[in-house]
Amino acid sequence: MAVADTPISVTDHPGLEHGHEEEPRRGKWRQSLGTWIPAGMIALILLACVFGPLVLPEPTGGSVLESNLPALSPGHLLGTDPNGNDILSRLLNGGRASLFIAAAVNVLGLVVGGTLGALSGYVGGAVDTTIMRLLDVLIAFPSLVLTLAVAQALGPSITNTILALAFFSIPAFARVARSAVLRLREMPFMAAAQISGTSTGRILFRHLAPNIAPQLITFGMLGMGIVIIIEGALSFLGLGVPDPAPSWGNMVATGQLSLSATPMLVVWPSLALLITVLSFNLLGENLRSRWSGR
Amino acid sequence: MTAATLPRVPGNRDPRVSRGRRVAGSPALRLIVKRVLMAIPIIIGVTILASWVLSLIPGNAAQQLLGPQATPEDIALLEEQLGLNESGVSRYLDWLGGAVTGDLGQSVVSGQEVSDLLAERLPVSGELVGLAFVVSLLVALPVALFAAHRPNGVFDRISMVISTVGLSVANYVLALILVLIFAVQLGWLPAIGYTPLSEGLWANLEGMILPSAAIGIPLFCFYTRFLRGDLVDQMQQEEYVTTARAKGVGSWQVLLRHAFRNSSFGLITVVGLNLGALIGGTVIVESIFALPGIGQMLLQAINTRDFIVVQAVVVVFAVVAVVANLIVDLLYVLLDPRIRYGSR
Repeated sequence: MAVADTPISVTDHPGLEHGHEEEPRRGKWRQSLGTWIPAGMIALILLACVFGPLVLPEPTGGSVLESNLPALSPGHLLGTDPNGNDILSRLLNGGRASLFIAAAVNVLGLVVGGTLGALSGYVGGAVDTTIMRLLDVLIAFPSLVLTLAVAQALGPSITNTILALAFFSIPAFARVARSAVLRLREMPFMAAAQISGTSTGRILFRHLAPNIAPQLITFGMLGMGIVIIIEGALSFLGLGVPDPAPSWGNMVATGQLSLSATPMLVVWPSLALLITVLSFNLLGENLRSRWSGR
Repeated sequence: MTAATLPRVPGNRDPRVSRGRRVAGSPALRLIVKRVLMAIPIIIGVTILASWVLSLIPGNAAQQLLGPQATPEDIALLEEQLGLNESGVSRYLDWLGGAVTGDLGQSVVSGQEVSDLLAERLPVSGELVGLAFVVSLLVALPVALFAAHRPNGVFDRISMVISTVGLSVANYVLALILVLIFAVQLGWLPAIGYTPLSEGLWANLEGMILPSAAIGIPLFCFYTRFLRGDLVDQMQQEEYVTTARAKGVGSWQVLLRHAFRNSSFGLITVVGLNLGALIGGTVIVESIFALPGIGQMLLQAINTRDFIVVQAVVVVFAVVAVVANLIVDLLYVLLDPRIRYGSR
């Protein structure tokens, strides 16, 4: 429901308003360090996931003769799983799928949700009410049910996972964009643009878009973490990236079956998930404190 | 009702206005009625969306029940019996008509009344979410207050590191880590399974600790971070804090009586928005811990194409989300005199 309608100054998205204080004593270099360390981690993870699979063995179709090798075995840095597949290779291939899905979902959410939200906030009136009520329905709809149903309906595949998750990210981006536009609408440059007869489309894309982009991109960084986790949940339930192709979620799910005997099968993908999501969250938080101008 | 029969009202209210009209005219009540009226189309919208999404899923319960060997005639017959071959719109309207009068239909697979199924499953999920929610909030409040009392102190830094990491852990990963440590390594708690409350409080709680921790720990991290951030903002920027300090109010007093009161609005909003997502999160945790709750029922129902059950679960989730937001609005009314007296 529309919390934003209540006469209390809470921003539309809860994730965007906590912990953004920047201590005055803290130097500038520390803040840039806070941006560059997680950004560097993300770059490293991206590079490893893009180029790693090129030099590592295939992630599927391993031989049973090589099953359950321990870590640091020759040719298998992290050992192999019960099917004889190289764990590191599965990890990096899985990461490739996870990151691709997360990026695609967030780009879709940013473009579609951002446009809808900005339009809604700028035009106002009946358009605003219609768009926001429709999005309210999407928000009240349990996201996992929707993604489960879409994944079931269209069958598990990477494209369908992206579509299913986009449903869920669009309303979130729309709310962020809308609340940002509502704040900008009262600015003098908006009045100037309107008085000089600029068309609505031009105002939206040339005047509003550049101003709300930083907020949306920052939200997208936090969204990357969220989508990676939810994609993992879908794959964990067998409804995301289809077996035998690896993803962090389905690696955790298959590892769970032999949790007491070979816990490392769960630990590696869990660590990969944690480090990646943590990096995106830290980067998002840090960017946010930069934009908020403190 | 005449003015003479009215009881004496304190204050400067006009006794000629009937009590009924005065209540109806109260801004708080208007706000609440408006919110309730707004909630109805949202819930109906959710059910329409649900039945549309479900109609896209290939296969139906008849095919699932009869298995892959069934002949097309058998399937057609069973579809006829189950009423699956009517159009989606008429089936939806039938369902809606029943749902309004409290009849959610029967499970196609087990033949049980859906309302009975819900009555059986909801308490399990309710206990899970309730435990996670209450404990995480109760722990988060003091931690956030202590952290905000000395920003950048040792306690603040430690709690922020923990909550940042905790927020980045997926609940299914957390669940498995908890099982690995407390069930597999230490053997303190059962890894899976559910014992009903009738077999003893401890037996029941024992099985609930790990699953509710898996849901509650990220929640605790979220609440702590949020409240601490908001409190520090209030303490550093707000003029009423400066005023209070200038009056010589102690630092804990300022934090608790002034900053926390204001921060509680943000926290209530977040909690309300979160509660809807929370019940959705039970799906995966219940399936890991084999808890017979509503989330597990949902997964089973999707797999067996028992759409009438899915529909009911979706309604429950949506109602929880909407009611949580309603409660948030009510709390605003209770806590904030500006809304109560309709100054806006």
